[in-house]
Amino acid sequence: MDTSRIRASLLYRRSNPILLIPQLGLLGLSAGWSSTTAFADEHLFGWVLGAETLPSKHAEAYEFLTLRTGKAEGTYLGWDSETEVEYGFTDQFQASLSLENHYFYNKGVVGPRDALSNTNSFRFGGVVLAGKYRLLSPFKDPVGLALRLEAGYLAHDEVDGLKQTEGYVAPQLILQKNYFDDTLIFDVNGGAEFAWGKRPAEQYPRELALTGGAGVSYRFTSNWYIGVESHIRSEYPLFEFGNHEHTVIFAGPSLHYGSERWWVTLSYGYQIHGTGIDEPADGKTFAEEVRNEIRLKVGLNF
Amino acid sequence: MKDWIPFVAAPAVIAGCAVPGFANTYLTVEQAQQAIFPGASFDKLNITLTPDQQKNIESRAGVRVPSRALKVWKVRGGGWFIVDEVLGKHEYITYALGLNASGSVRQIEILDYRETYGYEVREASWRQQFVGKTSQAPLKLDGDVRNISGATLSSRHITEGVKRLLATYEVALR
Repeated sequence: MDTSRIRASLLYRRSNPILLIPQLGLLGLSAGWSSTTAFADEHLFGWVLGAETLPSKHAEAYEFLTLRTGKAEGTYLGWDSETEVEYGFTDQFQASLSLENHYFYNKGVVGPRDALSNTNSFRFGGVVLAGKYRLLSPFKDPVGLALRLEAGYLAHDEVDGLKQTEGYVAPQLILQKNYFDDTLIFDVNGGAEFAWGKRPAEQYPRELALTGGAGVSYRFTSNWYIGVESHIRSEYPLFEFGNHEHTVIFAGPSLHYGSERWWVTLSYGYQIHGTGIDEPADGKTFAEEVRNEIRLKVGLNF
Repeated sequence: MKDWIPFVAAPAVIAGCAVPGFANTYLTVEQAQQAIFPGASFDKLNITLTPDQQKNIESRAGVRVPSRALKVWKVRGGGWFIVDEVLGKHEYITYALGLNASGSVRQIEILDYRETYGYEVREASWRQQFVGKTSQAPLKLDGDVRNISGATLSSRHITEGVKRLLATYEVALR
């Protein structure tokens, strides 16, 4: 199937950010990421962020690997990779720079609502900058509060790697509340993503995405946290709220291990609800989304 | 350049930057005893708090008592030596508290610290803040105890641990 057919068959294509790097498995590492997510500090969850920031003059490196799979038909494997370095400029402000890469394997994804070219290829995703400023600490204030701003350039579409020239900015609000000597942690995120240059992957040149997430994680023994999280994304072409493209909600468990010099998080998200324009009203959306997301994150502290 | 190379190169660089963990046991119990009470002798006591004592301590300190079993030594010539643990971000932080015969803090020492950040809690200037404190002291982070940015969790939990042990002294040792 050529790309013009793809574009014609889909009214919209969203910029879903989840990347991967299969090589990490070979290295015994893992990683995963999402385009709207150049993460910061130690992550208890795969998609939901906490309000902590790196201490001043400290750095971390991350490798995030995400597998997106499960379309309405055929075989779809979207691997997303994010390799990120992050630095604490002050105790309240950190910034990060990340590179994104993708690997796509599509075969037989030719249904009317999620038609993609048969593909077996790597693609460079893009470059993402992010800054996070902590206003309140979850460890000493009634609630932790941080503001985060991410901006990126994406050279290829995250759904199946179509070449594009996309720029986006994504402000985000992060809340964190800890209980029981900081062993039970709640995180809530809310934000937006303004993207330009969506063509030709999507029909319209610009798009607004509203994003949100929530998670709770419990430290059940030293070094280990187990939790559940959910994240939602709604997209609106041309920045018009009356122009709804699709909404998707994922939910699933997360497992985190943290030690002095490194940490790892494994999370799974299942599409519990989705709705998309020109798609059957069966509670799922597949034009730009998948049924299952699996994310592995590894962080190294310096 | 092969398309797959960026996939491999970037994470490989990250993996190559990995560094081993630090050694993190700084003092044994015996070394901490001699650091706080040089030349003194100690008698180990077997003390387990009763449920009522536990509740009393929690009420006085406003801090949960994680274990009713105490690791306490009576210092010959006066004073108490207590080894305690508080939660760090990843593991337990083990520290020792020395109390004068009057019940005021003589000194604290960090025995084990395995966290990513916050090693400043070992610095003498930070530990010095606790010297002379009694159970009447607020022992409040950002109040009478200075917070260490980047190690707020460790700073708060150690502060709360000292507060809990001072209440323990009042309830079970005095």
